[in-house]
Amino acid sequence: MNKRRVVVTGLGVISSIGTGKKIFWDNLILGKSGISKVDAFDTSRHFNHYGGQIRDFEPSNFLEKKKVKLMGRASHFAIAATKLAIKDSDLSFARLNPKKISVLIGTTGGEAQEIEKMDATWVEKGKDAVDRWSIIQYPVSNISSNVAMELKVKGVNRVFTTACAAGNYAIGYGFDLIQLGKADTVIAGGSDAFSYISFTGFSQLSAMAQEECQPFDKNRKGMLVGEGSAILILETLESALSRNAFIYAEILGYGLSCDATHMTNPSVDGIAKCIQNVLAKTGISAEGVDYISAHGTGTKNNDKSECAAIKKVFGEKKVAVSSIKSMLGHCMGAASAIEAASCCLAIVNSVIPPTINYKAPDPECDIDCVPNKARKQKVNIVLNNAFAFGGNNSCLVFKRPNFNDKIQR
Amino acid sequence: MGKRVVITGIGVVSPIGIGKNEFWKNLFAGQSGFRDITLFDTKDLKVKIAGEITNFNPKAILGEKGLLDLDRATLLLLSATKLALEDAGLKIDESNTYRTGVSVGTTFGSLHSISKFDRESLTEGPRYVNPIIFPNTVANSPASRISIKFQIKGFNSTISTGMSAALDAIDYANDFICLDKADTIVAGAVEDLSMQTFLGFYKLNYLSGLKNTSAAPLSCPFDNRRNGIIFSEGATTLILQDEEYAKKTGTVVYAEILGIGSCFDPAKFYKYNPKGYGMKKAMKKALKAAGLFPKDIDCVFANANSTKDADYIETKVIKDLFDEYAYKIHVIAVKSALGESFSVSGGFATIAALGALTKGILPPTINYKEKDKNCDLEYMPNKARNKEVSKIMINSFGPNGVCTSLIIGRYKS
Repeated sequence: MNKRRVVVTGLGVISSIGTGKKIFWDNLILGKSGISKVDAFDTSRHFNHYGGQIRDFEPSNFLEKKKVKLMGRASHFAIAATKLAIKDSDLSFARLNPKKISVLIGTTGGEAQEIEKMDATWVEKGKDAVDRWSIIQYPVSNISSNVAMELKVKGVNRVFTTACAAGNYAIGYGFDLIQLGKADTVIAGGSDAFSYISFTGFSQLSAMAQEECQPFDKNRKGMLVGEGSAILILETLESALSRNAFIYAEILGYGLSCDATHMTNPSVDGIAKCIQNVLAKTGISAEGVDYISAHGTGTKNNDKSECAAIKKVFGEKKVAVSSIKSMLGHCMGAASAIEAASCCLAIVNSVIPPTINYKAPDPECDIDCVPNKARKQKVNIVLNNAFAFGGNNSCLVFKRPNFNDKIQR
Repeated sequence: MGKRVVITGIGVVSPIGIGKNEFWKNLFAGQSGFRDITLFDTKDLKVKIAGEITNFNPKAILGEKGLLDLDRATLLLLSATKLALEDAGLKIDESNTYRTGVSVGTTFGSLHSISKFDRESLTEGPRYVNPIIFPNTVANSPASRISIKFQIKGFNSTISTGMSAALDAIDYANDFICLDKADTIVAGAVEDLSMQTFLGFYKLNYLSGLKNTSAAPLSCPFDNRRNGIIFSEGATTLILQDEEYAKKTGTVVYAEILGIGSCFDPAKFYKYNPKGYGMKKAMKKALKAAGLFPKDIDCVFANANSTKDADYIETKVIKDLFDEYAYKIHVIAVKSALGESFSVSGGFATIAALGALTKGILPPTINYKEKDKNCDLEYMPNKARNKEVSKIMINSFGPNGVCTSLIIGRYKS
């Protein structure tokens, strides 16, 4: 049996540097930062005050007003990103079998803002005052349900809560579902809204930088929390070709691994193993990789371990490695989905987005991090790294398609 | 092509027993697991009972060391997993760890820690919360602790789909084995009883005993008196293996996974679709995946949780799908004894079904007294019965729209 080939034909992005793939990409390759002083909640008693908060997002542009108040911000993001992605894919949903359209969303905090509202009421006025509407909105499973309800699709519906790599897990499973014939079209990605809890948590772990996220820099101080969503439309190569769709990239495969060592400390061997496995599985040589979209959170430990793992796999070959978290902060479960969208755009535009805020080289991060300025370069094979809490590693492989000769966009 | 997936280990921590033998014994005896809540203060609440596991002593199962920073959900899941690994006689080492993975279904498993962390930060100030507990607030923390504790390195995924999460995690595991990504998968599910989660179901009026406060809360699926759920907690872990691999290791096989189907039913916000479209489709898909017809199924372990609409819709869908044969099979609601444990409920039902399959005893739907004229199937009321069965369907349907059905069968090599 020939395995079905899976391609990406639509992208939708909601980010702190813009809504929609075009503005997102334009700003990304300009090296624009989405970091600002947080006002989503009071940070006056925190040690940190900056983050990648989205300021120009208006849910009612994507959703009927009466529905807006029925769901939380992570669902708003996911629905908006999905609608943008579908429009971008040019798929006419009405003509597809809704039972074969799957929705897979990765998230870390889900509708954390709803839980936070509940807790705030609880603390201020006691638990009796907790509003039932805040309760019905917080289950993390709501995000994919809300997306599917809005689009009236009935296929396999899942929320992945594999923390900071959740987007990759969702996209990867979408690839699996198409290969297994369980879905023909997959709406896959991630969504996370700005969360007081994760902001406080990372701040208390002393893992957070002050105003700048500086992945791979010698003086990097840590990560910054961000928010956003990205959705990829996945379908079979066959269906994309038959409808003359524009193809961003082919997904060659993905790999997962678990360090099984520590909740918050990444392991060089675990990461290297994950990358090696996926290369072996997809038949790509280390030489063949043009670009790695790094997990690159900007913490001392992550960047050091990731670079060491890359060295271990790629040896002396200097592959371009950049972290767009330098611009967006860490968008949690959405991060790897947004990075996956960025990988697709890098392939299509033959441009690699930069790692901004890079000033001083770190001998422990001896990689080509595409410092500060985007680079024009043909990109055939891209790896999308994402590592989560609990030592959960993931790596997705995208390939430049060679079917687009006739299709222009 | 076409890999077969088998179940070779069972671990359970439930309100009616810890470990498969105690669980089955009490289930067959018609014992229920409801008692006064001790985990938090219920002084101001109208409902004071739940399926709380009061005799849970994690140290007895997991040993004394390294449990200090773990929350209740994590301890429940680690315990169920330890029992399952022991039950399967599975040793994880360098030779098999990269071909072993973890797939866990949970939706509220970290809610207690999230809310605790959050409220502590709001009352004490964000600079004074203990960062050690922050990792517990991340939803994949219970699953990740499995990998750390038992050194499982293949992969580690957490799926949060609400009520169907246990079956969805099994579905994911089944897919991974079929795609040859793993030989062995620890497929778990967990929900813990906490004030936060309980309050949610309480405020949403899902609990029995809220609407009619003169009567005590009662879990009586399909019975005319049913008026809501009794919330409960627990953890289940199944060891799933590639059949070829299991054969090589010579392990005991409890059952084979014959097929799983899942469908999303876009009903109204948090309301079951009265037509039961998604339930029916999920059951059909599972049959198709198993290559079976409705008449091949001996018995259905229902989703029925003692709510008015859910039990009725499920009955109706079974009648639609099974036709006149619907009256000849047994439809069993173990939630009558176990309550609604949300993401873990499909795990309890699957382990109950494994008991029926291996012991030749069908557990009862307890608390069944008053017939509802719209729910007129054979529900195995109140008493277990000896009966050999070979193929069982297990249903999980959530009000959020995710519907999943699993079919397991007696294993023949």
